[in-house]
Amino acid sequence: MNDLNQIKTVFGYTFRDAVRKKAFIISTIIIFILILVLTMIPRIINTFEDDNTDNYVGYTCYYIDEKELISGAKETLASSLPGIVIEEGSADKISEYNNLLQENKNLALITITEKDGLPFITITTGDFMSSVPSEMISETLTKVYVTNTLNKLGYNETAIETAQIELPYTMTFTGGMNFSGYTVGILLTMLIFFAIYYYGYGVSMSVATEKTSRVMETLVVSAKPSRILIGKCLGMGAVGLLQFSGIIAFSAICIKALIPEDFLIMGMPISFSAFTIKSALLVLLYFILGYSLYSVMNSVCGASVSKIEDLNSAMMPVMLISLISFYFGYVAAVSGSDGLLTKIAMLLPFSSPFIMPFKLLNGSVATVDIILSIVLLIIFIIIFAYISIRIYSASVLNYGKKQKLWALYKTKL
Amino acid sequence: MGLHIKNMIKSFGSNIAVNDISFSMEKPGVFGLIGTNGAGKTTCIRTILGIMSADSGKAEWNEKKISRENLSFGYMPEERGIYMKTKVLEQLVYFGTLRGMSKTDAKKSALDYMERLGVSEYRDVPAEKLSKGNQQKVQLITTLIHNPELIFLDEPFSGLDPVNTNTLNNLIHELVLEKRFVVMSSHQMSTVEEYCEDILMLHKGKSVLQGNLKEIKKGYGHTNLIISCEQDIALYANEAGLELISRRADESEYRITGDEMAQSFLKKLINEGIFPIKYIVKEPSLNEIFIQKVGE
Repeated sequence: MNDLNQIKTVFGYTFRDAVRKKAFIISTIIIFILILVLTMIPRIINTFEDDNTDNYVGYTCYYIDEKELISGAKETLASSLPGIVIEEGSADKISEYNNLLQENKNLALITITEKDGLPFITITTGDFMSSVPSEMISETLTKVYVTNTLNKLGYNETAIETAQIELPYTMTFTGGMNFSGYTVGILLTMLIFFAIYYYGYGVSMSVATEKTSRVMETLVVSAKPSRILIGKCLGMGAVGLLQFSGIIAFSAICIKALIPEDFLIMGMPISFSAFTIKSALLVLLYFILGYSLYSVMNSVCGASVSKIEDLNSAMMPVMLISLISFYFGYVAAVSGSDGLLTKIAMLLPFSSPFIMPFKLLNGSVATVDIILSIVLLIIFIIIFAYISIRIYSASVLNYGKKQKLWALYKTKL
Repeated sequence: MGLHIKNMIKSFGSNIAVNDISFSMEKPGVFGLIGTNGAGKTTCIRTILGIMSADSGKAEWNEKKISRENLSFGYMPEERGIYMKTKVLEQLVYFGTLRGMSKTDAKKSALDYMERLGVSEYRDVPAEKLSKGNQQKVQLITTLIHNPELIFLDEPFSGLDPVNTNTLNNLIHELVLEKRFVVMSSHQMSTVEEYCEDILMLHKGKSVLQGNLKEIKKGYGHTNLIISCEQDIALYANEAGLELISRRADESEYRITGDEMAQSFLKKLINEGIFPIKYIVKEPSLNEIFIQKVGE
């Protein structure tokens, strides 16, 4: 049987085995639900932002403006907030009202006093959890006061309305970095780290399980360890790629279907203009290359243990490298700087899969940097794959005393 | 033609696990590779099959170097290993396709062996739900699924109950009838005696005895007397200088110096009016030879 067919057979079995695992199915469902919930939030926020005062049916507000600083305010409040009963209150009964407020959460007290020559609005409720529409009350009272004042100054109704108009606004950016790209970039960096770590661990676990359960003894009779290793890494990688692509595709569908086009976060619109086909393909490429690098390293960890409970300690060095590289890439990415450290993070094969997707979505990355980082990643993958295959081949049938990596590497195969 | 191993050496650091082993198997049958635990049997097999590279020496099948690439051999490792969470038929097809079979052929062959070994009802059951004996049968099918000519069975009978031992017995006999070459490693001498015409005895990686089992035994001459009488003959045996090897419920086995000693003891018993029900003069068992060779 030729090399390719055996790699294909191991790949197919590993892939089928992994996608049928409960961990894969459950984690995919949870991630999809999370995406759905997150993309529904803007719509939910918009729903709550509707000025539906019916939500406050059953509320009673005592209104006290003894000096009539805002004349006609009580009536305007009653018409603006039809669900809320506005009752004329008395300053003498303030302590009585305060006692009532503590007992009944659907009560509020609006007091207008004078401060620095202007009316000062105090809204009192039982506790801070009260959902009385304080912003709406203050906006209504302010509008009434401004209208009264401008009326007194002799302005006509059109002028008064114009004076109170709030102009709509939005923010745009001339640079490549925008809020959406920044947020998506961070999420992508985390997702890539999670996927590389999780599926790298999967390779390690799969190799260790086959070794400790002695299935490896049956496998190595049929295929060279190098073919098993390559097939296994490709199989787990394909599962990772499937889930990763699924997440990206589902996110895109949810964003398109659920997030309102005019939705603003901190005054900024959500934009995915940086997510071009080219950048999406490059993100996928960095994920594949990053996964390949870490998975060949993880496979050695799996092959080096004789007992499954030793796997975590065997994985520690690779785990540390991946964690440090992730934080290095992440910090360099979010700092927004283009200094020397960022450049190193972009080119270093251990950290480039974490920082480059962020950089691709946030500003222009020089083509030469992209090519150089990909070439370096491929060189590292080849070197590590060669070393890993040697160590893996020497260690898969070694069950006795743990040997040093160098001794395993030097073993005659 | 056949299997030829010449001056095979394999070491791990300063430890020589297989030390200059040579043997041949020129006709179909069962060859016994025997030795204590740690004698180097498994390493010897792995080195022959090219799973581990030899420091020196040759392992050839039909005058071609043995390797995974140019010979589709079967190997059942001593440590059983199958995927516990995977359904039986599915993993058998996987191992078959890994051996170069098409899925259809692998499935057909797997179902055929499952039928022969009486495990066809478990085809869609995860291996973890099978008894140890049945798991071992599945392991054996992974070894035979691609119908190899050369088969290595490392301790095939360990852990099997009498019923499963009988099933495996029948299968090995069938394999021999099908003109397969079977190399069986074991430290159960009775098993080896039952199947093997030729043997190689390993001790600390070295061959301490090898050749045709009948010839080896013949070389030792008649050294054992098995006798069964209704009367107690212990006193007479003691007087005749017979050394008791073992006393079983209905017979006793003594060590003798040769046929003359056995004959004079028989005469003595008859003179005393004792007529043995059973009287067998025989060569030493393989177990005795084994203990003598490696027991020091």
